[in-house]
Amino acid sequence: MSTEQLITDLEHILAGQRARAVEIAAMPAGALLHRPEDGAWNILEVFEHLNLSSGIYVRGLEKVFALRAARHRANPEFRPGWLGDYFTKGLQPQPDGVIKWRMRTMRMFDPGRQQGASHASIERFVDLCDRFLALLTIARTTDLNAMRVASSLGPIIRFKAGDALRFPVAHQRRHFLQIERAVQRAAMDRK
Amino acid sequence: MDIVRRTIERYVTLTEAEWSAIAPCWREYAFGRGSEVCAVGEVEQRFYIVKSGVQRLSFPHDGRDICVGFAYDGSWCGEYASFLTRKPARFDVVALTDSVLVGIEHDDLQKLYVEQPVMERFGRLILEELLVGRAMREIEQLSLSAEERFDRLVKRSPQLLQLVPQKDIASYLRMTPETFSRARKRR
Repeated sequence: MSTEQLITDLEHILAGQRARAVEIAAMPAGALLHRPEDGAWNILEVFEHLNLSSGIYVRGLEKVFALRAARHRANPEFRPGWLGDYFTKGLQPQPDGVIKWRMRTMRMFDPGRQQGASHASIERFVDLCDRFLALLTIARTTDLNAMRVASSLGPIIRFKAGDALRFPVAHQRRHFLQIERAVQRAAMDRK
Repeated sequence: MDIVRRTIERYVTLTEAEWSAIAPCWREYAFGRGSEVCAVGEVEQRFYIVKSGVQRLSFPHDGRDICVGFAYDGSWCGEYASFLTRKPARFDVVALTDSVLVGIEHDDLQKLYVEQPVMERFGRLILEELLVGRAMREIEQLSLSAEERFDRLVKRSPQLLQLVPQKDIASYLRMTPETFSRARKRR
């Protein structure tokens, strides 16, 4: 796939998610805490889940880019690794908005079992988007095939740098559908 | 915002003009159960009024959390010493239940103190209240027996017994959970 196309797409999606997060942060606090169903995450918890999971890639990429991005020349072609491609495609919502895979959240990514979620979770998410976007600027100048990063599926599974950008953004898209459903439910239930 | 006006008006009366200058400085913040309002080492950015939920003020010591206070509807919340001094917090403030806090930033409050004399008076009155409260608690801690401390708490804040985990109340009263449990059963 074209590296430039990939990066432009990701920038577009991330800018949209960032802007939406800023809007959502201004919603009434009660709506952000509203639980759509017993045991379901509230809006803040979804954001915290994204911080916990995407954070692994952002930190991993920041580290590897700082050390090695300058050593590689820009490569106009990115060839996804098969695992990275498989997980990204399985995870992201289909064009019609349908979620293909159901997944169980790993304990380390469950905000309910970690430190809880608050307004600051949204602020941290916005910050994470900014760091992602900064990484994409560097991504244009280097070879995304040449570096690998530990994945959130466990340190044994390592994604190519390009997949380490694609996968978390696909994962965020999936959860933004959940956030929008929770926003609607909060508006309905709180009337 | 009602809660802010009602809380301030427990101490001073506000004109509409004063209120319209004060109201825009306050904003609602959501804290999910278990999340930190402020953590040891951070600088507290805001002074909060509790709209809903219960929060615990504690500090870590010897691998345990020693609980020094609670906040609930209509009371103050946050790490006030850090908020005032702009130095790292000594206490953790944690939401024990989903909580909505209405907060004001340090600079905004300082600005109100200067521009609205009624707010400076409010600030003085809450400080007096906090100071008297601290003095009372110090005396209780040093002079009363475990049982007497328990009785005082039940009389003063009976709602706490339902809102807060017993281990936190036991820690607040400087009792072991066992002593607390015995004191409670005697009632």
